[in-house]
Amino acid sequence: MRTITDISVMIAGRAGDGVLFTGNVLAKILKKEGWEIVTYRDFPSNIRGEATNYTIRASQRKIYGRSDSIDVLLAFDCDAIIRHLPSLAEGSIILCEGADLARYVTPADKGIVYHQFPIKQLAREWFGSEIFKNMIVLGALCHIMDLETTIVHEIIRDAFLERKGANIVKKNLQAVKLGCEQAEKIVEPEEKHSLEKRISSKKLLISGDEAIAIGALAAGCRFFAAYPICPASEIWQWLAKVFPRYNGLVVQTEDEIAAINMALGASYAGARAMTSTSGPGASLMMEGFSLAGMTEIPLVIVHVQRVGPSTGLPTKSEQADLNMWVYGAQGDFPRIVLSPGTVEECFTFTIKAFNLAEKYQLPVVLLTEQDYGQNLRTTERFSLSKIKVDRGKLLTQDELLKIDEYKRYRYTRDGISPRALPSMINGLHMVESNEHNEKGYREEDSRNRNRMMEKRMIKLRTARKELIAPRLWGESEAETGIIGFGSTFGPIQEAMDQLRGRGLKTKYLQIRTLWPFPTQEVEEFITGCRRVFVVENNYSGQLSSLIKGQVIGCPEIKPILNYSSQTFRPREITAEIEKGT
Amino acid sequence: MKNKIDYHLEDPTWCRGCGLFALFSAFKKAAESLKIPPEQLVIVTGIGCHGRLNNYFRCYGFHALHGRALPVATGVKLVNPRLIVVGISGDGDAYSIGLGHLLHAMKRNVNLTYVVVNNLIFALTQGQTSPTSREGFVSISHPYGSPEYPLDGPRLALAAGAAFIARGFSGEPGHLLSLIKKAIQHKGFSLLEVLSPCVTHNKVITYQWLKENIELIDQDSSYDPKNIQSAWDRTAGGEKIPVGLIYCQKKSSFEFLVDQDENRPLVSEDFKVKREELEKIMDGFE
Repeated sequence: MRTITDISVMIAGRAGDGVLFTGNVLAKILKKEGWEIVTYRDFPSNIRGEATNYTIRASQRKIYGRSDSIDVLLAFDCDAIIRHLPSLAEGSIILCEGADLARYVTPADKGIVYHQFPIKQLAREWFGSEIFKNMIVLGALCHIMDLETTIVHEIIRDAFLERKGANIVKKNLQAVKLGCEQAEKIVEPEEKHSLEKRISSKKLLISGDEAIAIGALAAGCRFFAAYPICPASEIWQWLAKVFPRYNGLVVQTEDEIAAINMALGASYAGARAMTSTSGPGASLMMEGFSLAGMTEIPLVIVHVQRVGPSTGLPTKSEQADLNMWVYGAQGDFPRIVLSPGTVEECFTFTIKAFNLAEKYQLPVVLLTEQDYGQNLRTTERFSLSKIKVDRGKLLTQDELLKIDEYKRYRYTRDGISPRALPSMINGLHMVESNEHNEKGYREEDSRNRNRMMEKRMIKLRTARKELIAPRLWGESEAETGIIGFGSTFGPIQEAMDQLRGRGLKTKYLQIRTLWPFPTQEVEEFITGCRRVFVVENNYSGQLSSLIKGQVIGCPEIKPILNYSSQTFRPREITAEIEKGT
Repeated sequence: MKNKIDYHLEDPTWCRGCGLFALFSAFKKAAESLKIPPEQLVIVTGIGCHGRLNNYFRCYGFHALHGRALPVATGVKLVNPRLIVVGISGDGDAYSIGLGHLLHAMKRNVNLTYVVVNNLIFALTQGQTSPTSREGFVSISHPYGSPEYPLDGPRLALAAGAAFIARGFSGEPGHLLSLIKKAIQHKGFSLLEVLSPCVTHNKVITYQWLKENIELIDQDSSYDPKNIQSAWDRTAGGEKIPVGLIYCQKKSSFEFLVDQDENRPLVSEDFKVKREELEKIMDGFE
C-alpha cells in the first residue's frame, strides 16, 4: 500500500455540471480531515455547456499552488481526459462517464488506470434525476481516497437541511452511499489512493476575495460601491450579506465610473469606502483614480486581475494590469499599489490599505489575481490582535473649532493636511478637481501649482517608512534569485521546494508594495545574486520593466513569463531556472 | 430681527447676463428660506460654466469630474443622510457624458436635488453643439448645422421613473425660487432643469426667444402634475416648452428602502468590529 502525502483530484465536465459545488465539498472534506488545500478552477466564462474543470490539491505539508500533475480524474465526458492526459501522473486513476476512451488513448503505458463509471445513468436510475450525479461523484471519490463519510454527511446537512429540507438531505446521502458502493465494485483495492487519517484542522478554507471582504469589514469599511465583474464579485457578495448587520451599505452602480465616484463621495463625507473591479472596469475607473489623487480623498480600490486585453478571458488569472495602476490615469499624483501573495496577506493588506489611504489621503490599490481571488486555500486563522483603525489627520469637531482659519489643503512638511468633513462647523471648504489653493478653490497660479504638486507628491516620501517591505524567502546565501509579486508566490514556493530537493539553492524576493517601488531592497537583492529570474503572468514582463526603470544600472534579469491564462505549474519555473544556471 | 445666513462667498465672474446669475441668486434665497445651515449643505458640481458656482456659494462644495456630479453626490448623501445634498450640472454634464448616471440616479431615487442648467450649448469649451441643441443648430462643432435631434431631459426623467420633475427658466427668477424650494423639500430624487441662456455663445436660444417659446404650466389650472399621462402629453413636443412643476409623486426613497436611519448616519459609526464577531465569522470558514 502506497503512502500518499500529496494528491491532486480533478473533476472535469461541462459548465452546469455542478463541478464547482462538488469540488468545494471535496475541498471541505479534505480540509476537515486535516489536509492542506489549494483549489484551482479552470472555468469558462459561460453558464452552461463549455468544458470546465476544478482541481483540488491536498497535501500533508504546506502547499502554495497547484502541483505538476493530477492523480485522480473524475470526468463527466471523454474530452476532458484527452485534454488533461499530459498532466496525469503515473499510477493515476480515471473514472469517466463516457465509454469510448480506449478509442483515443492508451493510458496503460503511463500506468494509468481507467474505469468507465456511468455517473449520470446511475443518478437517473436510482434517483430519477441527473441532479444527484455530483453526490455519486463525491461518494466515488470518498471510496478511492478512503475518506470518512461522516464528514460528508455533516457537510451535506449544513448545505441542504435549512434550504431544501430533510428529504433532500436523505436523498443526497443515499447518492453518496451509492457512489461509494459502485466505485467499490469497479476499483481494485491496489488502484485506490487511500489517504491516511489525520487530525481535524482548525485552519480556514477561504478564498482571497473572501479574505479581502472580511479585512474590509475589520478595517471599518462601511460603504462599498461596485459593478458586477468576474473575478471580483465574491468580495461584493460577501459584503452584501454581512454589511446590513453593521449599518454598512453596498450599492450596485450603473458602471465602474459611478462606482469609484460614489465611493469617493462617501469617503469625502467621512465613511471608509471601497470599490472592487477587474480588467475593463479598472480602465473605466482611471479618471476617478486620478480625481482621488487630486482631491486627496482616501480610497481603497481592489483589482482582482483577470486575463486581458479587452474582455480577455474573464474567469482566468493574469498579472498584466500592473502598468495600469503604477503608471495609469491622467497626470502625476501619489498612489500606493499593494500586492498580497497569500490569503492571509489579502486580509492584512486590506486593513493596511484603509489605514494608508486615510493617513496619507490618497488612493490605495490592492492588486490581486483571479487565482488568489477565487480559489480556496487553507490558511491559519487571521490574527486579530494587531488590527487598528488609524484615521490619520481627521479632525474632530473640537479640534476644528480651535483652528483660526481652516484650510483643507494647508501646506505641511509631511504633505498631509488635516481633514474636516461636511457638516462640521468651521470646516467649510471646497474639493476641487481642478488645481486648487490651500482652501480648495481653483487656482491657476504657477507658484501655487508647484507647491500643491509637491505637497501631494511628498506624501509618498512620508509614507515610505510604513509601507510593506518586500519579503525574502529561501536561502540567503543562494546565488540564484527569483523576484515576483502577487499570486506567483504559490508556484515560486513550489518550484523552490523542488529545486532544493534537487540540490539547487534559491532565494526569492516577494514584492509586496509595487508602488512606491522598493528600489533599495530590490537593488540589494539583485546585487546579492549571480543570476536573477523574474517570474510573472504576463507577456511583456511588466515587473521586469518596472525593476529596470527603478534600479539604476540593473544587471541582466531573466524573465520567466506565462500568459497562457493558466497559472504556472512549478515545473515551468524549475525548467527555466535549471536551464539558466 | 432675523439673522441672515450668509451663503455669498464671492461675486461671480460669469458673463454679464448669463442665466447662472439667476440660479445663484435663487439658490441662496431658497437655502435661506429653508434655513439650511451652510455646514449642512453640500453642492456637487460638474464641469462647465455652472461648475464655478461652488467658488461663489458658501457651503461645502465639491467640483467633480465632467459628468460625475451625481455619483459623488449619491455617495455623500448615502453615508450622511442628514446633509442636504444638491448636484448641479450643465446639459453636457447631465445629458451627454453623465446621462447614464442621471438615468440610474432617477431609478435609484436617493434623496438628492439635481439641477441641470440647460443653455443648449457647450459654453465653457467655446460653443459646441450640446445634447439639447436643436436639429440644424450651427456651432463651431457643426458649421453646417447639427444633424442630430435634441434630448428632452424631463421626458427622459418620466421614462426613468423620477418622482419629481420640474423645469424652470432663469428669466423667471421668482418662479425658479419656488421650484428650487419644492425640489429640495421633495423626499427622493428631484430633477430640476433650468433653461438658462448663454449670452456669449448661443445667439439663437436667447431670453427673448425663451420668453416667446415657453408656457408656464403652473398657471394652467387644468394641469395636474400628479397625473403622469398629462406630464407625457405636455412634454410630447408641442409648440411651447413646458415650464413649471411637470410631475410630482410620492415614492419611497432608496435610503428608506435600505433602512438607513437618518438619526444614525453611517459616518457616525465607530467603524470597529468586536473581536468575538470576527472570530465567529472565521468559524464559518473552518
